[in-house]
Amino acid sequence: MGGPAWLTAIFAAASLAVAVYCAGRLVVARRGHRPTELDTDGAHVIMGVAMAGMLVSGLRTLPSTIWEVVFAAAAVWFGYRMLQARRGAQSSPWRSSHPLPHLVECAAMVFMFLILPAAAGAATSSVSMTMTATESRFSFLTLPLAVYLFGYVVWLGDRVTLHAPALALATAPASAGPRPGYGSGSSGPEPAHPYLAPRCAAICKITMGITMGYMLILML
Amino acid sequence: MSESLAVGRAQTRPAGRPGDTAGDTVGVAALDARRKLQLGLGVIWVLDGILQFQPSMFTKSFPDMLAESAHGNPGVVAGPITWSASLIDHHVVVLNAIFATIQLALGLGIAWRPTVRLALAASIAWSLAVWWLGEGLGGILAGTASPVNGAPGPVLLYAILAVLLWPADRDPGAPSVAGRATGRRPAQAVWLVVWGSLAAFALLPASRAPGAISDMLTDGADGAPAWLAWIDTHAASALNHHGLAASIVLAVLLAVVAVAVYLPAPALRAAIVLAVVLAAALWLAQGMGELFTGMATDPESGPLLALLALAFWPAGARKEA
Repeated sequence: MGGPAWLTAIFAAASLAVAVYCAGRLVVARRGHRPTELDTDGAHVIMGVAMAGMLVSGLRTLPSTIWEVVFAAAAVWFGYRMLQARRGAQSSPWRSSHPLPHLVECAAMVFMFLILPAAAGAATSSVSMTMTATESRFSFLTLPLAVYLFGYVVWLGDRVTLHAPALALATAPASAGPRPGYGSGSSGPEPAHPYLAPRCAAICKITMGITMGYMLILML
Repeated sequence: MSESLAVGRAQTRPAGRPGDTAGDTVGVAALDARRKLQLGLGVIWVLDGILQFQPSMFTKSFPDMLAESAHGNPGVVAGPITWSASLIDHHVVVLNAIFATIQLALGLGIAWRPTVRLALAASIAWSLAVWWLGEGLGGILAGTASPVNGAPGPVLLYAILAVLLWPADRDPGAPSVAGRATGRRPAQAVWLVVWGSLAAFALLPASRAPGAISDMLTDGADGAPAWLAWIDTHAASALNHHGLAASIVLAVLLAVVAVAVYLPAPALRAAIVLAVVLAAALWLAQGMGELFTGMATDPESGPLLALLALAFWPAGARKEA
């Protein structure tokens, strides 16, 4: 990456930390039957690993083509979830309640892998994400993607303030219904356990948004 | 006043009705117009912070850029600029990392409700310092100020917005968000001064000289992607021999926007739409803040002027009051 190595290493470490934490969430959620957004956490596991590899070439794990397919599939999933949500389909506390930002994140990953094939395949100590003149024709996409992610980060920052129960309600779908101590007033299935660490989930999303936004800004 | 009221009358609603979709605002704190604008300001601060992390900012180019803003300013203004640029030059990596982190923290601080006052207050202090030491007071004293090149200095608009979006209700019945914190008349005065000064700057020699606006448009095209460069170079070509006429038209439009704050709500709404259009046009003329050059530290004045205009929209405050 074009930035100082220590800076890209920090961002890579942050994205890897999110990946590890989200993997842990998946395990804890399964063992403790605590609801979490399985699709979001799963996406962040692979996204964190892929982003770390883009930021520091020594952390590359898979070829770009495979990542493109993976994130395209993830984008299709979140797009499908978004359509379902718009149609008012019964939602689950185990799936993302706000799929659009994750759809954008996955699309941004595909975009970055597609637009920087040579850079991603370089065997240098750090991957240069600086755009060439030819690639800059896509800048009309890069800037809106980055600004959208920063908007998402700020929106999440606003949500983090909520008390954990309210934040869980904010991040979980309505049909999850009331939880013990989480307010009441709606019908629907009642999960036996509270949502898993909603503030930590929000902080993970913020970290991923900032890191991905940084990568996109480097491509301007 | 409770925190939620202070920040923007946020409310946590109970779980929604059966059949609510996942994307609905179930259990989500509602955002009023002021909070939305605060978050908009937060987004721009986050963008600024990340821009400050760009590779070129860790090189000599950054202090050189700061030092350039001293040119043409009186000694009392230029001296500190030169001193700070020299200091940054000697410790560019450490200081730039600190600057970037501060701006990122300001954005996140505005987003996080418990720290919104602290972050807004800090952003005012930071903005004023950068306005002097980083932007040379926007070129106002150097005679180079023009609305097309970002006068009166984009970073000054951050401070103005922080004041207008301050989470207090000095005048809860104010017709717009901007009037709630400071009161209607002070807010109107701020609007008049900002847009009136832009109109005045448009008539200075820096704007009205035959090729002035055209040259600024050409500068905006430098380093821009092809589609933006096409817009700026064509606009520059069209205005090449019409600098005076262009500056007069721009000044008249800006003056209309300035005085419209004292007009009835329907006329003010029309003027705000015009203000947003002008802000967008100025942003394009500024090469979208030269965001594509790798040397931008902020998105320039266009987005901030648009945000300022939205803060004066009459309907929002009425609705939530």
